[in-house]
Amino acid sequence: MIQVSGLHKSFGAQDVLKDVDLQIDPGKVLVIIGPSGSGKTTLLRCLNLLETPDGGCIQIGDISLSFGQGVKHKQSEILALRKKSGMVFQAYYLFPHMTALQNVMEAQVQVQKKSKAEARLRAEDLLDKVGLGDRKDFYPHQLSGGQQQRVGIARAMAVSPELLLFDEPTSALDPELVGEVLKVMKELAREGRTMVVVTHEMKFAAEVADRVVMMDDGKIIESGTPERVLAHPSSERARAFLNRIAQKDLI
Amino acid sequence: MDERIWNIIVDSFWPLLRAGVAFTVPLTLISFALGLLLAVLTALARLSALWPLRQIAKFYVWIIRGTPLLVQLFVIFYGLPSLGVTLNPFPAAVIGFTLSVGAYGSEIVRAAILSIHAGQWEAAYSVGMTRMQALRRIILPQASRVSVPPLANSFISLVKDTSLAATITYTEMFRTAQQITATTYEPLVVYVEAGLIYLFFSSLLSALQNVLEKRLDRFSAR
Repeated sequence: MIQVSGLHKSFGAQDVLKDVDLQIDPGKVLVIIGPSGSGKTTLLRCLNLLETPDGGCIQIGDISLSFGQGVKHKQSEILALRKKSGMVFQAYYLFPHMTALQNVMEAQVQVQKKSKAEARLRAEDLLDKVGLGDRKDFYPHQLSGGQQQRVGIARAMAVSPELLLFDEPTSALDPELVGEVLKVMKELAREGRTMVVVTHEMKFAAEVADRVVMMDDGKIIESGTPERVLAHPSSERARAFLNRIAQKDLI
Repeated sequence: MDERIWNIIVDSFWPLLRAGVAFTVPLTLISFALGLLLAVLTALARLSALWPLRQIAKFYVWIIRGTPLLVQLFVIFYGLPSLGVTLNPFPAAVIGFTLSVGAYGSEIVRAAILSIHAGQWEAAYSVGMTRMQALRRIILPQASRVSVPPLANSFISLVKDTSLAATITYTEMFRTAQQITATTYEPLVVYVEAGLIYLFFSSLLSALQNVLEKRLDRFSAR
């Protein structure tokens, strides 16, 4: 069970997240959509504590942390919560001085203290799974964007997190490479992985999401089944956003 | 060429080269190795979250960059005995050059660390690494590639700067050249000869830089 309550985050004078409540059920896929600047990426980054919330509470599995003024957490607590989730970045951020295989092995060896042999086996399995078994000894710059992102997914899964976070995983990709990454993500969803996906891919949201959340101006303005949020949104702002997206697709 | 001049060139070559290999090279290598270590530590202190550490590092770089190396060497070798600290020429020179490499090098290392995209830190954190693990495994290996050309500059400068150790009675290559000149009265020939041997050492380092860059380039798209 993943529970976010009263989450608040501001950058300087700007409130980016305003008391966000969110529940993610194990084995389900939650897709977060919304206009740029609505806070969806910040929400995702808070789940992995790449941003430290200014207030509220995050619970993932058996670990729960509260945030607020003057509250400082030990690094061990932050790491414990962080290890519950794996992050896939928009710009991949693979380690450029390591091969695909080494990218996927690294945290297993350094963080989980597994033996190299054990880490290599798992890394090879994961690279096979994302369709890159034959590219394991390539450096990131020798791979296409879609391939790099699939390595990014394998790297995020390597330490067996309970939750996978995707921050606009296909936004930096050439259009013809988007499909291969979405295909891998669909497979993971079918396997029953818990996923939170920030994306502009409405088709993916409609097909794969168990629940869609729409954010605007730091708040959740719609939440429900893809059918309800995408086809029958209740608020005017949600309809306006979906119309803009639909028009863009027509052009 | 005048036979006397030719004999001076030949006779002084081995003493000069020997002084270079036995004294200039070890002084350079030891000072650079220690200086590089000091540079990394100072750069990390400058980037630390702890205010006192940052201030100490800043102060150290300020003093060393702001005063002449020659003055520093004189303070260490001729000045410290007044405080009861008497050093032999070699350790005095090593301390002086190490402090110098550490100060200038720290800015190179700091710039190299800052040049690595913040996403690399985030990716390391996102898989559960601590700050130290991220630094050691992810950031420094990438920063080292960035810092090779400017550090090679420092290294080559150091080879030549070690000639300043002559002034604190360390008989390295330049002081040997001075001694030869004192008996042969041929400063042009002997100093040019010494200069050429310095040029040879520097060229070796340039070659080393190229090899190192090629090795570290294996993972980059350049």
